[in-house]
Amino acid sequence: MSTGQITAPGAPSPSGEAAARPGPRTGAHSARGRRSLSSRRALSFYVFAGPWVLGFLALTAFPLGYALWLSLTNADGLSNNSRFVGLDNYREVFTDPETMSSLARTGIFTAITVPLTLAAGLLLAILVNQPIRARGVFRTLLYLPAVVPPVGAALTFKLIFDRDSGAANGALDALNLDGISWLMDPYARWVLVTLTLWGAGNAMIVSLAGLQDVPKELYEAARIDGANTWQSFSRITLPLLSPVLFFQVITGIIAAVQSFLPLLISLDPTPRGVTAVPEGNYLFMIHVFAQYFANGRYGYASAMLWVLFLIIVAITFLVFKLSKGAVFYAVDPEPDKPSRPRTLGGK
Amino acid sequence: MVFRRRSAVYMLLVGALVLFLGPFAWLLDTALKAPDELRALPVHWWPHHPNLSNFRDALTHIDYFGYARNSLTIATVYAVLVTLASAWAGYGFARLHAPGKKLIFNVLLSTMMLPQILTLIPTYLLFAKMHLTNTYVPWVLWGLCGAPYLIFLFRQFFSNMPKELEEAAIVDGCGQIRIFWRIFLPQSWPVIATSLILSFSWTWGDYIAPALLLDDAHTTLAVKLAYGYVNAHGSPLGNLVAAGAVMYVVPVLALFLIVQRGFVAGVATSGLK
Repeated sequence: MSTGQITAPGAPSPSGEAAARPGPRTGAHSARGRRSLSSRRALSFYVFAGPWVLGFLALTAFPLGYALWLSLTNADGLSNNSRFVGLDNYREVFTDPETMSSLARTGIFTAITVPLTLAAGLLLAILVNQPIRARGVFRTLLYLPAVVPPVGAALTFKLIFDRDSGAANGALDALNLDGISWLMDPYARWVLVTLTLWGAGNAMIVSLAGLQDVPKELYEAARIDGANTWQSFSRITLPLLSPVLFFQVITGIIAAVQSFLPLLISLDPTPRGVTAVPEGNYLFMIHVFAQYFANGRYGYASAMLWVLFLIIVAITFLVFKLSKGAVFYAVDPEPDKPSRPRTLGGK
Repeated sequence: MVFRRRSAVYMLLVGALVLFLGPFAWLLDTALKAPDELRALPVHWWPHHPNLSNFRDALTHIDYFGYARNSLTIATVYAVLVTLASAWAGYGFARLHAPGKKLIFNVLLSTMMLPQILTLIPTYLLFAKMHLTNTYVPWVLWGLCGAPYLIFLFRQFFSNMPKELEEAAIVDGCGQIRIFWRIFLPQSWPVIATSLILSFSWTWGDYIAPALLLDDAHTTLAVKLAYGYVNAHGSPLGNLVAAGAVMYVVPVLALFLIVQRGFVAGVATSGLK
């Protein structure tokens, strides 16, 4: 996929790296000319990166610092006399049983949905990668739910799992079974998991792109060597797909721990109401919203979010560490360097 | 053997299709039901007297067009600005070098890990102090500085373009801005399209930012849809919710179906290269 940059041999490098080191014997005129060319190029980099850097400083770095400061105060948005409380908020994050249980619930939700989505996406990708009729149509239609905005998806599932008028209980009724209050405990969490899995088309597309990158010759060679379907899947497909799967695990975890879908599923018909979230769906993010909106505890909510951010960083780091050796890069993931040829050899 | 395997593939795919498209069918089904049919027992699988009045009522029960206009304004303004700004920054990261570039790029990549809401709370407080809440200025500002993900997308695309393109222009005395504007940008329409659609649908679908920053009159369809359809007693009107949701979701689906080839390619490759 990544072809890197191809430089024609002998072509002058326009990057200015060589020109930045003028030899001592170079004529003064041309040295100055070259230096100004390279510094002009450096200057243009700042011109191009500048807006983002300014935006980052104003709209990300500064708010982050502000959030850090807030997390050390008891700011509530009502009174103006918020004061510095040190690490009290952070102490509370780790001692408040409600915060801890919502964090644990988020962990379980992540541990369930990330592997399930990954597996469902991979299975679908393999299916729509078969030489069958209308596979483009299958790909498009299976991806469709992933495009539905979260509010639309949540409202749709609310209608399906409605106690009185929903299709889920309609089906149970047709089987002569009693209806279930799906959106309440203990079933609500499974509605949430189902809703999350509905978007597995995203994982499918990413895995499919990986599958299409596996050289066909490998399968042929394996077949000649007498490998069966499972063997070529586990020895060829999985290793070559591992960077793609790894990428999905990381992004999946980051997205799952920040999930606020329960808020949208159980949103009361009152503005900004977060009162009726069933316990099974009371994820960490919902707790943050409850503290922020309902109780106006800006300081505490900020501390919780900082803890969440550190957890994300720690998990990402951990997954990177743990996956070393398990993830197989046939293509150099660094596009700045010329990529190594695609080989199946060792390191 | 091959035949059996192929039909198994079809069976699995059709099964998956039923599961994945079923929710759409139920949404449409509910949108066509009369209010008293929603209370019918046993559940009506098909509306017995399908009519389109729910759609009309959904448009008038809340100021649907007003909220749709708010959504459309925010999403369009943001999508156009963020695409231009991201292409601009992406060009810098792909084609130009300067001290500190690596550091800046690493910061850019790591901001993708940041929970959005972490910066949103203080941003809300700041904007409130500057009287920028209930305006669309925040989306203009966010758009102007580009989005890391899209910058990354453009950077990937631009770094794979041949060097000869800019060399000829440099020989002709073209500045970097002109090279970007006249040579690189016009060639990058697949990424531009992907970026426009992605950023548009992010904003169209966003709930948190408008819920935080905008009051009831200025808010978006996404927010209003979630709690706007209730009767005088405060109980939700399922059939109007469904009709409203159909009209909210269909434009996004239509947009996707029209441009899906390029869009899917963009989504699939963006994170992997």
